[in-house]
Amino acid sequence: MGEQVKSPMPGIFYRQSDPDEPPFVEEGDSVDAGDTIGLVEVMKNFHEITTENGGTVGEFHVENEAEVEADQTLLDIE
Amino acid sequence: MIRITDGGIASTVQDLGRFGNYHIGMPPSGAMDEYAHTVANYLVGNDEDAATIEMTYQGVTATFDEDAVVAITGADMSPTHNGDPIDTWTTVAVEAGDELELSFATEGARAYLAVAGGIDVPEVMGSRSTYTLVGIGGQDGRTLEDGDELAIGERTEDRRDLVGETVGDEYVPEYATEDTVRVILGLTDYRLTEESKADLCEAEWTVSPEADRVGYRLDGPDIEFEERDQPFGAGTDPSNVVDLGYPVGSIQVPQKPIVLMQDAVTGGGYATVGTVISVDRGRLAQRQTHKSVYFEPVEIDDALTARQERHDRLSEIRKEVELED
Amino acid sequence: MGDDRITPVDLPEPRYEYGGDDHVFVELAEAMSFTANFKAMAITQQVAEREIDGVVENCPANASYMLRIDPDVAHPDTIIEELREIEAALDVENYEWETRVIDVPVLFEDPWTHETLMEFRDRHQDPDGTDLEYSAELNGFDSVEAFIDAFVAAPHMVTMVGFVPGLPWCFQMVPRERQLEVPKYVEPRTDTPSRAIGFGGAFSVIYPVQGAGGYQLYGRTPIEVLDVDQRLPDFEDSIVYPNPGDILNYRRIDREEYDEIREEVEAGSYEYTDEPVTFSTEEFFDAPDEYNQRLVEVIA
Repeated sequence: MGEQVKSPMPGIFYRQSDPDEPPFVEEGDSVDAGDTIGLVEVMKNFHEITTENGGTVGEFHVENEAEVEADQTLLDIE
Repeated sequence: MIRITDGGIASTVQDLGRFGNYHIGMPPSGAMDEYAHTVANYLVGNDEDAATIEMTYQGVTATFDEDAVVAITGADMSPTHNGDPIDTWTTVAVEAGDELELSFATEGARAYLAVAGGIDVPEVMGSRSTYTLVGIGGQDGRTLEDGDELAIGERTEDRRDLVGETVGDEYVPEYATEDTVRVILGLTDYRLTEESKADLCEAEWTVSPEADRVGYRLDGPDIEFEERDQPFGAGTDPSNVVDLGYPVGSIQVPQKPIVLMQDAVTGGGYATVGTVISVDRGRLAQRQTHKSVYFEPVEIDDALTARQERHDRLSEIRKEVELED
Repeated sequence: MGDDRITPVDLPEPRYEYGGDDHVFVELAEAMSFTANFKAMAITQQVAEREIDGVVENCPANASYMLRIDPDVAHPDTIIEELREIEAALDVENYEWETRVIDVPVLFEDPWTHETLMEFRDRHQDPDGTDLEYSAELNGFDSVEAFIDAFVAAPHMVTMVGFVPGLPWCFQMVPRERQLEVPKYVEPRTDTPSRAIGFGGAFSVIYPVQGAGGYQLYGRTPIEVLDVDQRLPDFEDSIVYPNPGDILNYRRIDREEYDEIREEVEAGSYEYTDEPVTFSTEEFFDAPDEYNQRLVEVIA
């Protein structure tokens, strides 16, 4: 059992809050429910993407600064 | 009173806009999708110029501390009433203490929440519309936030008689498939090469993430300009013209096209190549980021006919809502 | 130089264009000239005076104008027909309008715009100089001082207000051969101080609020062009101070005066120095230097 974290809206996916900051999470990190794993930007608004369940961060399906669609899977939580 | 507990991504109070100040740089603001805004108002017995809440991509969560009659139109944001799903394009009764929650848009980009009596924020220069750039209108001139309290306007009559009213399917747009917007070409389109003029109307354009109430930037083929010696005062770039007024809905081409929307910059020095007709601006406002858009050139009479048809549809809807019980 | 006169330009036939179903855009010329701008002023003033049914917005621009219309009230062609009538009856070389001459104090080479322009040097044509040094050299002046002298030597007319609320585009009231001309930044800045005085193409501007911008930066005025809260007495009727057709007289001030005026503005007590005048295109074309002198004397 695991979780696929999806983007609820179209936009640009960011793994860090600022280009100078480290990513919110890396593969292998353990996360709690509600942790922020990235941001999706649309219309200059940044929306925090959070996990529903805790677990271990698995594979990222999209790269930093990639354009994403609504409902697109961003990463797996194992 | 409506208490906002989650403002969503970019929600603002809007009516039909603020006019008479374009010459000092003030755009009209107002609902981006005038059709959805107007139908929401009709469903709760308001006139079309009552203020609604415009929500973008993600809706608000709000609790009511008084009984109210509401309707949600536009993009489908899976609204719930005390946790139970409710229909959009339908009149709904809420009681004091009830919660409305809207989620993310599945189809379309903007939803409208109307309440009988209208959202009662103070009028600024004749309108309740929010214009965030200078911070006027709406709730303190900004997007809604957790903790905002919005008054409901005075109701002249109890509109619970409208509860359960809904508009026919033929009146509900299909946002997922409506990808063509009609334009009247012209303005300063002499700046484009013949090839770029053709591209404008034939190419597939996609809505970029930089698409907001000011303008919709579109991605697509590169725009090329006719070579010329730049006239005095125009600036050095081939995309530059002597600064001129930009119509709302006009397509300017700094390079990638930008369609100016309700919070438009009112003028500037980029060539403009055509204008999206008034009834199709709302259709563009409902195109999500990354979705395709096609421009279809039309003549002025087609645009005026489309406008008349829109008026007719809206009066049919109003009649239908008010006649049935 | 006092003998100069300005020869009115022969303009092409206006181009009437539909801006969708609810705007009419009229291009009077592709190039900037006083003739084109005065024509835009005159026609839009006539439109306002005639109170034409169906006109919602009435916007003069530098060498064009635009109306927003309500096509449910009047067909765009009906309005265009009336615009043609107005145009045909107009003698732009002999036209007058009531306007204002306005004192605009400017601290040139101020610390705030200096900091900003240094921060964005990598986006500028001349990374090693300042915007004023670059502009002075490009226009053939020996020094920044001499360039500023030319910039303030004659008033600037507000030929258009827009982009954002309150931003005036101004064209200096001198013959073409004395017009200053400077390109915009190679790549726009992401920041500009509010109330900065900029110059780009052939136009000076005052930035109403902090924000992005691409014009060369010369100085900063302590006075506001936009007062959303309408605290200052001169903003009683409108949140925007400058109007198309106004005549701005930029006046060089020192830091001490800047701070004094700024204090009054912040206290909400500053009153603008402006006087009503009748502007005559004929007198201006005939002897611009002499006429400008008379115009700015009213606020001396």
